[in-house]
Amino acid sequence: MAHSDRDAGRQSVCYVYGVVPADVEIDEDVRGVSAPPARVQVIRRGRVGVLVSQIDGGRPLGRPDDLVAHKELLDMVAAVAPVLPMRFGAVADSPDAVADQLLSAHEDELAADLENLEGYAEYVLHGRYEPEAVLAAVLQENPAAARLRDAIHGAPEEEARDARIRLGEFIGQAVEAKRQADTEAVVRELEPYAQQVRVREPTHEDDAMYLAVLAETSRSGEIEQYARELAERWDGWISVRLLGPMAAYDFVRAPEA
Amino acid sequence: MTLSTGGEGSSQGGGSSLADVVDTVLDKGLVIDAYIGASVAGIELLTINARITIASVDTYLRFAERADRLQLDSGGKGLPDMVESATTGRAKGKAAQGAIGAAGKALDQIANSIGSPSRQ
Repeated sequence: MAHSDRDAGRQSVCYVYGVVPADVEIDEDVRGVSAPPARVQVIRRGRVGVLVSQIDGGRPLGRPDDLVAHKELLDMVAAVAPVLPMRFGAVADSPDAVADQLLSAHEDELAADLENLEGYAEYVLHGRYEPEAVLAAVLQENPAAARLRDAIHGAPEEEARDARIRLGEFIGQAVEAKRQADTEAVVRELEPYAQQVRVREPTHEDDAMYLAVLAETSRSGEIEQYARELAERWDGWISVRLLGPMAAYDFVRAPEA
Repeated sequence: MTLSTGGEGSSQGGGSSLADVVDTVLDKGLVIDAYIGASVAGIELLTINARITIASVDTYLRFAERADRLQLDSGGKGLPDMVESATTGRAKGKAAQGAIGAAGKALDQIANSIGSPSRQ
Protein backbone atom coordinates (compact mmCIF):
# COMPACT_ATOMS: atom_id res chain seq x y z
CA MET A 1 0.00 0.00 0.00
CA ALA A 2 1.78 3.14 -1.15
CA HIS A 3 1.00 6.45 0.45
CA SER A 4 2.11 9.88 -0.73
CA ASP A 5 3.83 12.14 1.77
CA ARG A 6 0.69 14.21 2.02
CA ASP A 7 -1.17 11.17 3.30
CA ALA A 8 1.47 10.37 5.87
CA GLY A 9 -0.58 11.69 8.77
CA ARG A 10 -3.55 9.58 7.79
CA GLN A 11 -1.74 6.34 7.28
CA SER A 12 -3.29 3.30 8.80
CA VAL A 13 -1.46 1.79 11.76
CA CYS A 14 -1.71 -1.55 13.53
CA TYR A 15 -3.27 -1.32 16.99
CA VAL A 16 -2.26 -4.15 19.33
CA TYR A 17 -4.58 -5.41 22.12
CA GLY A 18 -2.81 -8.45 23.47
CA VAL A 19 -1.22 -11.84 22.92
CA VAL A 20 -3.25 -15.06 22.87
CA PRO A 21 -2.69 -18.75 22.09
CA ALA A 22 -2.74 -19.37 18.32
CA ASP A 23 -6.02 -21.33 18.55
CA VAL A 24 -8.07 -18.32 19.65
CA GLU A 25 -10.49 -17.10 17.01
CA ILE A 26 -12.44 -13.87 16.94
CA ASP A 27 -15.82 -13.50 15.23
CA GLU A 28 -16.02 -11.07 12.33
CA ASP A 29 -18.53 -8.90 14.13
CA VAL A 30 -16.27 -8.20 17.13
CA ARG A 31 -15.19 -4.54 17.18
CA GLY A 32 -12.39 -2.72 18.94
CA VAL A 33 -10.96 0.80 19.27
CA SER A 34 -11.29 3.84 16.99
CA ALA A 35 -14.36 5.34 15.29
CA PRO A 36 -16.09 3.69 13.66
CA PRO A 37 -14.95 0.80 15.86
CA ALA A 38 -12.44 -1.27 13.93
CA ARG A 39 -12.64 -4.96 13.16
CA VAL A 40 -10.45 -7.19 15.34
CA GLN A 41 -8.20 -9.75 13.73
CA VAL A 42 -5.76 -12.41 14.87
CA ILE A 43 -2.22 -12.60 13.48
CA ARG A 44 -0.52 -15.92 14.22
CA ARG A 45 3.06 -17.18 14.33
CA GLY A 46 3.62 -20.69 15.63
CA ARG A 47 1.91 -21.26 18.97
CA VAL A 48 1.03 -17.62 19.62
CA GLY A 49 -1.24 -15.00 18.12
CA VAL A 50 -1.92 -11.34 18.64
CA LEU A 51 -5.21 -9.41 18.53
CA VAL A 52 -4.93 -6.33 16.31
CA SER A 53 -6.98 -3.73 14.43
CA GLN A 54 -5.97 -1.65 11.43
CA ILE A 55 -6.89 1.91 12.42
CA ASP A 56 -6.54 5.42 11.04
CA GLY A 57 -3.23 6.76 12.31
CA GLY A 58 -4.44 10.34 11.98
CA ARG A 59 -7.18 10.02 14.55
CA PRO A 60 -6.15 10.64 18.17
CA LEU A 61 -6.70 7.63 20.37
CA GLY A 62 -7.84 7.57 23.97
CA ARG A 63 -11.46 8.63 24.11
CA PRO A 64 -13.51 6.79 26.76
CA ASP A 65 -14.99 4.52 24.07
CA ASP A 66 -11.48 3.52 22.99
CA LEU A 67 -10.41 2.64 26.54
CA VAL A 68 -13.55 0.65 27.18
CA ALA A 69 -13.29 -1.19 23.85
CA HIS A 70 -9.69 -2.19 24.57
CA LYS A 71 -10.61 -3.54 28.00
CA GLU A 72 -13.87 -5.23 27.02
CA LEU A 73 -12.26 -7.15 24.18
CA LEU A 74 -9.45 -8.45 26.39
CA ASP A 75 -11.77 -9.27 29.29
CA MET A 76 -14.09 -11.16 26.96
CA VAL A 77 -11.14 -13.26 25.81
CA ALA A 78 -9.80 -13.67 29.36
CA ALA A 79 -13.05 -15.30 30.47
CA VAL A 80 -12.37 -18.25 28.15
CA ALA A 81 -8.67 -18.23 27.19
CA PRO A 82 -5.36 -16.96 28.52
CA VAL A 83 -4.37 -13.52 27.24
CA LEU A 84 -1.40 -11.21 27.83
CA PRO A 85 -2.90 -7.71 27.72
CA MET A 86 -0.97 -4.77 26.29
CA ARG A 87 -1.19 -1.40 27.98
CA PHE A 88 -3.63 0.87 26.14
CA GLY A 89 -2.21 2.71 23.15
CA ALA A 90 0.12 0.11 21.64
CA VAL A 91 0.59 0.70 17.91
CA ALA A 92 3.00 -0.58 15.27
CA ASP A 93 3.62 0.35 11.64
CA SER A 94 2.19 -2.85 10.23
CA PRO A 95 0.90 -6.32 11.03
CA ASP A 96 4.22 -7.66 9.71
CA ALA A 97 6.18 -5.64 12.26
CA VAL A 98 4.02 -7.07 15.04
CA ALA A 99 4.26 -10.61 13.71
CA ASP A 100 8.05 -10.48 13.35
CA GLN A 101 9.21 -8.35 16.28
CA LEU A 102 6.61 -9.34 18.86
CA LEU A 103 5.48 -12.88 18.00
CA SER A 104 8.35 -14.56 16.17
CA ALA A 105 11.09 -12.93 18.21
CA HIS A 106 9.49 -13.85 21.55
CA GLU A 107 7.41 -16.94 20.74
CA ASP A 108 8.87 -19.18 23.44
CA GLU A 109 8.50 -16.79 26.35
CA LEU A 110 5.04 -15.61 25.23
CA ALA A 111 3.86 -19.21 24.88
CA ALA A 112 5.25 -20.06 28.33
CA ASP A 113 3.56 -17.04 29.93
CA LEU A 114 0.25 -17.95 28.26
CA GLU A 115 0.56 -21.53 29.47
CA ASN A 116 1.08 -20.30 33.04
CA LEU A 117 -2.11 -18.26 32.75
CA GLU A 118 -4.18 -21.16 31.39
CA GLY A 119 -7.29 -21.47 33.54
CA TYR A 120 -6.55 -18.24 35.46
CA ALA A 121 -7.89 -14.72 35.25
CA GLU A 122 -7.63 -11.52 37.23
CA TYR A 123 -10.19 -10.25 39.70
CA VAL A 124 -10.12 -6.85 41.34
CA LEU A 125 -11.38 -6.54 44.89
CA HIS A 126 -12.00 -2.94 45.83
CA GLY A 127 -13.17 -1.66 49.19
CA ARG A 128 -13.95 1.93 50.11
CA TYR A 129 -14.71 3.24 53.59
CA GLU A 130 -18.08 4.87 54.02
CA PRO A 131 -16.96 8.51 54.20
CA GLU A 132 -18.79 9.49 57.39
CA ALA A 133 -18.16 6.20 59.17
CA VAL A 134 -14.39 6.28 58.71
CA LEU A 135 -14.14 9.91 59.86
CA ALA A 136 -16.30 9.23 62.89
CA ALA A 137 -14.11 6.24 63.78
CA VAL A 138 -10.89 8.25 63.45
CA LEU A 139 -12.20 11.10 65.61
CA GLN A 140 -13.55 8.71 68.25
CA GLU A 141 -10.31 6.77 68.43
CA ASN A 142 -8.21 9.94 68.62
CA PRO A 143 -9.63 12.43 71.11
CA ALA A 144 -6.87 14.93 70.29
CA ALA A 145 -8.04 15.05 66.67
CA ALA A 146 -11.62 15.54 67.82
CA ARG A 147 -10.51 18.39 70.12
CA LEU A 148 -8.58 20.07 67.30
CA ARG A 149 -11.60 19.75 65.06
CA ASP A 150 -13.72 21.47 67.68
CA ALA A 151 -11.08 24.20 68.14
CA ILE A 152 -10.95 24.89 64.41
CA HIS A 153 -14.70 25.10 64.16
CA GLY A 154 -15.65 28.74 64.01
CA ALA A 155 -12.04 29.93 63.84
CA PRO A 156 -11.28 32.41 61.02
CA GLU A 157 -10.48 30.60 57.75
CA GLU A 158 -7.01 32.15 57.34
CA GLU A 159 -5.94 31.77 60.94
CA ALA A 160 -6.91 28.10 61.06
CA ARG A 161 -5.53 27.06 57.68
CA ASP A 162 -2.36 25.48 59.05
CA ALA A 163 -4.32 23.76 61.77
CA ARG A 164 -6.75 22.42 59.17
CA ILE A 165 -3.89 21.03 57.14
CA ARG A 166 -2.42 19.37 60.24
CA LEU A 167 -5.78 17.90 61.19
CA GLY A 168 -6.37 16.64 57.66
CA GLU A 169 -2.89 15.17 57.48
CA PHE A 170 -3.49 13.38 60.75
CA ILE A 171 -6.81 11.98 59.53
CA GLY A 172 -5.10 10.88 56.31
CA GLN A 173 -2.48 8.99 58.32
CA ALA A 174 -5.12 7.39 60.51
CA VAL A 175 -7.08 6.25 57.45
CA GLU A 176 -3.83 4.95 55.93
CA ALA A 177 -3.24 2.86 59.08
CA LYS A 178 -6.72 1.37 58.75
CA ARG A 179 -6.13 0.76 55.04
CA GLN A 180 -2.91 -1.12 55.79
CA ALA A 181 -4.50 -3.27 58.47
CA ASP A 182 -7.63 -4.09 56.45
CA THR A 183 -5.59 -4.73 53.29
CA GLU A 184 -3.32 -7.17 55.14
CA ALA A 185 -6.29 -8.96 56.66
CA VAL A 186 -8.02 -9.42 53.30
CA VAL A 187 -4.81 -10.50 51.55
CA ARG A 188 -4.49 -13.24 54.19
CA GLU A 189 -8.11 -14.27 53.80
CA LEU A 190 -7.69 -14.46 50.02
CA GLU A 191 -4.89 -17.02 50.28
CA PRO A 192 -7.17 -20.06 49.81
CA TYR A 193 -8.59 -18.62 46.57
CA ALA A 194 -5.69 -16.75 45.03
CA GLN A 195 -2.58 -17.88 43.23
CA GLN A 196 -1.17 -14.35 43.58
CA VAL A 197 -2.36 -11.06 45.03
CA ARG A 198 -1.00 -7.62 44.15
CA VAL A 199 -1.80 -4.57 46.23
CA ARG A 200 -2.68 -1.64 43.99
CA GLU A 201 -2.01 1.94 45.01
CA PRO A 202 -5.13 3.58 46.45
CA THR A 203 -6.80 5.96 44.00
CA HIS A 204 -9.13 7.62 46.49
CA GLU A 205 -8.59 9.00 49.99
CA ASP A 206 -11.29 6.69 51.38
CA ASP A 207 -9.98 3.52 49.75
CA ALA A 208 -9.85 0.64 52.23
CA MET A 209 -8.19 -1.85 49.88
CA TYR A 210 -7.47 -2.18 46.19
CA LEU A 211 -6.33 -5.67 45.30
CA ALA A 212 -5.61 -7.48 42.06
CA VAL A 213 -6.13 -11.22 42.49
CA LEU A 214 -4.95 -13.93 40.10
CA ALA A 215 -7.24 -16.92 40.54
CA GLU A 216 -8.62 -19.94 38.71
CA THR A 217 -11.68 -19.01 36.66
CA SER A 218 -13.23 -22.30 37.82
CA ARG A 219 -13.30 -20.79 41.31
CA SER A 220 -15.14 -17.60 40.32
CA GLY A 221 -18.10 -18.66 42.46
CA GLU A 222 -16.00 -18.99 45.61
CA ILE A 223 -14.41 -15.57 45.11
CA GLU A 224 -17.80 -13.99 44.53
CA GLN A 225 -19.07 -15.68 47.69
CA TYR A 226 -16.09 -14.37 49.68
CA ALA A 227 -16.71 -10.83 48.35
CA ARG A 228 -20.37 -11.09 49.37
CA GLU A 229 -19.37 -12.19 52.86
CA LEU A 230 -16.97 -9.25 53.13
CA ALA A 231 -19.70 -6.86 52.02
CA GLU A 232 -22.03 -8.24 54.69
CA ARG A 233 -19.38 -8.18 57.41
CA TRP A 234 -18.61 -4.54 56.62
CA ASP A 235 -22.08 -3.30 55.83
CA GLY A 236 -22.14 0.41 56.73
CA TRP A 237 -18.35 0.51 57.16
CA ILE A 238 -16.72 -0.50 53.85
CA SER A 239 -18.45 -0.85 50.49
CA VAL A 240 -16.99 -3.78 48.58
CA ARG A 241 -16.90 -4.39 44.83
CA LEU A 242 -15.57 -7.35 42.88
CA LEU A 243 -14.61 -6.92 39.22
CA GLY A 244 -13.73 -9.71 36.82
CA PRO A 245 -12.86 -12.15 35.52
CA MET A 246 -10.67 -9.89 33.44
CA ALA A 247 -7.35 -10.02 31.60
CA ALA A 248 -4.37 -10.32 33.96
CA TYR A 249 -3.13 -6.75 33.58
CA ASP A 250 -1.45 -6.76 36.99
CA PHE A 251 0.36 -10.07 36.47
CA VAL A 252 2.04 -9.82 33.07
CA ARG A 253 5.78 -9.22 32.85
CA ALA A 254 7.90 -7.58 30.23
CA PRO A 255 10.49 -9.64 28.34
CA GLU A 256 14.02 -9.82 29.67
CA ALA A 257 16.22 -7.32 27.89
CA MET B 1 -12.51 -21.62 20.45
CA THR B 2 -14.54 -18.81 18.98
CA LEU B 3 -15.60 -15.64 20.70
CA SER B 4 -18.35 -13.32 19.70
CA THR B 5 -19.81 -10.09 20.98
CA GLY B 6 -22.98 -11.84 22.06
CA GLY B 7 -21.22 -14.82 23.53
CA GLU B 8 -20.16 -15.82 26.98
CA GLY B 9 -18.25 -13.11 28.71
CA SER B 10 -19.93 -10.17 27.04
CA SER B 11 -21.59 -9.32 30.32
CA GLN B 12 -18.29 -9.48 32.20
CA GLY B 13 -17.01 -6.25 33.55
CA GLY B 14 -20.50 -5.33 34.65
CA GLY B 15 -20.24 -2.85 37.48
CA SER B 16 -16.92 -1.52 36.28
CA SER B 17 -16.86 2.21 35.68
CA LEU B 18 -14.71 4.30 33.36
CA ALA B 19 -12.48 5.02 36.39
CA ASP B 20 -11.93 1.27 36.79
CA VAL B 21 -11.05 0.99 33.12
CA VAL B 22 -8.61 3.90 33.35
CA ASP B 23 -6.95 2.47 36.49
CA THR B 24 -6.31 -0.74 34.61
CA VAL B 25 -5.59 -0.13 30.94
CA LEU B 26 -3.47 3.04 31.22
CA ASP B 27 -1.27 1.84 34.02
CA LYS B 28 -0.97 -1.94 33.68
CA GLY B 29 -0.25 -4.45 30.96
CA LEU B 30 2.64 -5.09 28.62
CA VAL B 31 4.29 -2.09 26.99
CA ILE B 32 4.82 -2.59 23.27
CA ASP B 33 8.09 -0.63 23.31
CA ALA B 34 9.62 -3.56 25.19
CA TYR B 35 9.17 -5.66 22.04
CA ILE B 36 9.16 -3.32 19.09
CA GLY B 37 11.83 -0.70 18.51
CA ALA B 38 11.38 3.04 18.57
CA SER B 39 10.74 3.25 14.83
CA VAL B 40 7.05 2.48 15.19
CA ALA B 41 4.24 4.56 13.85
CA GLY B 42 3.38 7.54 15.96
CA ILE B 43 -0.20 8.09 16.99
CA GLU B 44 -1.56 10.89 19.08
CA LEU B 45 -2.65 9.55 22.43
CA LEU B 46 -5.15 11.63 24.33
CA THR B 47 -3.52 11.58 27.70
CA ILE B 48 -5.48 11.20 30.86
CA ASN B 49 -3.52 11.75 34.02
CA ALA B 50 -4.72 8.75 35.96
CA ARG B 51 -2.27 9.16 38.80
CA ILE B 52 -3.84 10.51 41.89
CA THR B 53 -1.81 11.60 44.86
CA ILE B 54 -3.87 11.12 47.96
CA ALA B 55 -1.16 12.54 50.24
CA SER B 56 -1.59 16.19 49.28
CA VAL B 57 -2.59 19.46 50.91
CA ASP B 58 -5.83 19.36 48.92
CA THR B 59 -6.68 15.99 50.41
CA TYR B 60 -5.80 17.20 53.91
CA LEU B 61 -7.99 20.28 53.59
CA ARG B 62 -10.80 18.07 52.30
CA PHE B 63 -10.46 15.69 55.25
CA ALA B 64 -10.54 18.65 57.65
CA GLU B 65 -13.59 20.10 55.91
CA ARG B 66 -15.37 16.75 56.06
CA ALA B 67 -14.47 16.36 59.75
CA ASP B 68 -15.86 19.82 60.41
CA ARG B 69 -19.19 18.89 58.83
CA LEU B 70 -19.47 15.55 60.59
CA GLN B 71 -22.13 15.18 63.26
CA LEU B 72 -20.32 12.94 65.69
CA ASP B 73 -23.10 12.35 68.17
CA SER B 74 -25.67 10.87 65.83
CA GLY B 75 -23.64 8.70 63.48
CA GLY B 76 -21.08 7.18 65.78
CA LYS B 77 -23.10 4.64 67.72
CA GLY B 78 -21.75 1.11 67.61
CA LEU B 79 -18.85 2.05 65.35
CA PRO B 80 -16.02 1.08 67.71
CA ASP B 81 -17.36 -2.47 67.82
CA MET B 82 -17.50 -2.65 64.06
CA VAL B 83 -14.00 -1.25 63.69
CA GLU B 84 -12.78 -3.71 66.29
CA SER B 85 -14.15 -6.70 64.41
CA ALA B 86 -13.14 -5.38 61.00
CA THR B 87 -9.53 -4.68 61.91
CA THR B 88 -8.28 -8.20 62.35
CA GLY B 89 -4.92 -7.48 60.75
CA ARG B 90 -2.98 -5.92 63.56
CA ALA B 91 0.68 -6.35 62.67
CA LYS B 92 1.45 -3.18 60.73
CA GLY B 93 -1.71 -1.51 61.88
CA LYS B 94 -0.47 -1.46 65.46
CA ALA B 95 2.83 0.18 64.55
CA ALA B 96 0.99 2.80 62.53
CA GLN B 97 -1.41 3.37 65.43
CA GLY B 98 1.60 4.06 67.67
CA ALA B 99 2.87 6.75 65.33
CA ILE B 100 -0.60 8.23 65.23
CA GLY B 101 -0.79 8.32 69.02
CA ALA B 102 2.37 10.43 69.05
CA ALA B 103 1.03 12.71 66.34
CA GLY B 104 -2.13 13.18 68.41
CA LYS B 105 -0.14 14.98 71.14
CA ALA B 106 1.02 17.55 68.60
CA LEU B 107 -2.61 18.14 67.63
CA ASP B 108 -3.43 19.06 71.22
CA GLN B 109 -0.81 21.81 71.16
CA ILE B 110 -2.24 23.21 67.95
CA ALA B 111 -5.73 23.10 69.40
CA ASN B 112 -4.59 25.02 72.46
CA SER B 113 -2.87 27.65 70.34
CA ILE B 114 -6.09 28.30 68.45
CA GLY B 115 -7.80 29.20 71.69
CA SER B 116 -11.31 27.91 72.14
CA PRO B 117 -10.84 24.44 73.65
CA SER B 118 -14.21 23.12 72.66
CA ARG B 119 -17.19 23.93 70.49
CA GLN B 120 -20.28 25.23 72.25
